[in-house]
Amino acid sequence: MQVIWDGIAEAMRLIFGGDADVLQITLRSLWVSGLALLIAVLIGVPVGSLIALRSFRGRRLVVTIINTGMAAPPVVVGLLVAMFLTRNGPLGQFRLLYSTWAMVIAQVIIAFPIVAGLSLAALQQLDLGLRQQIAALGAGRFQAFVAQLREIRIALLAAVMAAFGAVISEVGAVIMVGGNIKGQTQVLTGAIVQETRIGRFAIAIALAVILMTLAFGTNLALTLIQQKGRQSG
Amino acid sequence: MSAPATPVMVARDLRVSRGGRTLVHVERFEVRSGLVHVLLGPNGAGKSTLLKALNGLEQADGTLEFEGRPVRGSADRLALRRRTAAVAQKPYLLSTSVIDNVASGLRYRGVGRREAHAVAKEALEMLGVSHLASRKPGTLSGGEAQRVSIARALACDPAILFLDEPIAALDPPTRRSLVDDLMRILDQRGIAAVWVTHDRDEALAVGDSVTFIEMGEVVQSGPALEVFSRPATESFATFLGLDTYLEGSVVVGRAGDLHFVLDTGHDLSCGEAPLGHAVACIPPEDVVLLTTVPEHNMSLRNILQGTVREVRPDGRLLRVIVAADGLDVAALVTKAAFEELALTIGSPVAAAVKAAALHPIPRHERLNQAP
Repeated sequence: MQVIWDGIAEAMRLIFGGDADVLQITLRSLWVSGLALLIAVLIGVPVGSLIALRSFRGRRLVVTIINTGMAAPPVVVGLLVAMFLTRNGPLGQFRLLYSTWAMVIAQVIIAFPIVAGLSLAALQQLDLGLRQQIAALGAGRFQAFVAQLREIRIALLAAVMAAFGAVISEVGAVIMVGGNIKGQTQVLTGAIVQETRIGRFAIAIALAVILMTLAFGTNLALTLIQQKGRQSG
Repeated sequence: MSAPATPVMVARDLRVSRGGRTLVHVERFEVRSGLVHVLLGPNGAGKSTLLKALNGLEQADGTLEFEGRPVRGSADRLALRRRTAAVAQKPYLLSTSVIDNVASGLRYRGVGRREAHAVAKEALEMLGVSHLASRKPGTLSGGEAQRVSIARALACDPAILFLDEPIAALDPPTRRSLVDDLMRILDQRGIAAVWVTHDRDEALAVGDSVTFIEMGEVVQSGPALEVFSRPATESFATFLGLDTYLEGSVVVGRAGDLHFVLDTGHDLSCGEAPLGHAVACIPPEDVVLLTTVPEHNMSLRNILQGTVREVRPDGRLLRVIVAADGLDVAALVTKAAFEELALTIGSPVAAAVKAAALHPIPRHERLNQAP
């Protein structure tokens, strides 16, 4: 029990003492996961919308693949990305393996199906009558698309929260493709694994507290936006 | 209705199909300026599908012309939607403020926010709901939400207003006031309307012309009263309930009671109804046939004396048409009652109708002048 209290005390010291290493790891975590989330949203929302609003051959298969992707284990994603980025792999020439870019790519692959799948589900649930009413109001294709996204904004925020939760807490892929290199590619989850492995539980707990605080803070902000949207709806 | 009614939209051989099956087909349908065209029919007849095809929401084969120009591809259909407006049975308000909702159609048309809000405010005032401008849709009653939806459509200054059962989900008093306001605005602004309903009274109250659709095909089309008075097919007649339709005015009698004075001069006692021009329906099951008229009969107050003109079976009953001074009044009687009365074609008979059974449906003032 003492080790937990020590860990919390250490966490307070590291957080409020402005420890440079911890700050760097935290910022790297936010940068990797934030960038991955942004890319996943920018690709996932339009792709999910396109699938939801259009009918085409093989649509069911695509939806099934996206839904499967939502449950894809990060280590499998890490393995695939590593295979592609390894020196002899199809994208080996770019020398991205064991860089933060490789970690971003892996996290985009993890977050994309979550964003696309939840956007797709939300748009499919949007009343067809409302969709037709938006068109009847004279909305062009893009205007109608934006109006529909506005109508599902609460569900979209839930998708963003779910995707952020998945990538910020993910450890398998980032270690596999980032290498967990201290000072270069180490993020909070990787650092927790490493500190635990070498028995520095206090620091591991401190990093865990920071990770949980980050997750809580981000989700709190998104939840507040979401609930404000709910009230104004 | 001072200006002559010119066609704003003409549909020829218009057909909406899905999966090789025709959902609705019309040989010819015209929307004329300033008139209310009712698409009447049972549920699933294809009325709403036709409305969507006319509004450019549904792809259709055939020819559709709007303001003299053909509507062909998706760009034409978008242009059509930007010159018209639609109101559905549900208000389908966007999850933003009322004023933003009403301004949304204008915003899609490229109108600036400030100007769109000014027009939206006027539209809300027109519908008597300007006090709701800052409210959110979730806080509105059904009637308020539908008024906002109509204001949103009218803010776009449409050449045609497409209405898909706009009052079906509202309670009777709300319906009445909304119809009154809507008809007044349509009349003032000379907007043509295509109004879908399955309610014959609603069709009669608002329609200049009525098109009856059944199983995706037009059964009959023409001026409302003509169509209602002379249903062309048995199924349409059944849909209408085969009532007797009479045109006249509700006035206050000397004793302070209400009378329905027919255009033919007949004077009938009637139930509660607003004063003014109206169409009255006499359900045939409320007509009692008498061979002798009782001297004192306070409950059967309208006695129309005439002769039996026609008798035909109607399910397990008989439908007897009584010709009474130029009026044809239909009555439903059992075979036993008919035999008991010993009636034959040409027999003298009296058709008795309780005042309470006579329900005048007010016609909007403008419809009295309709062609």
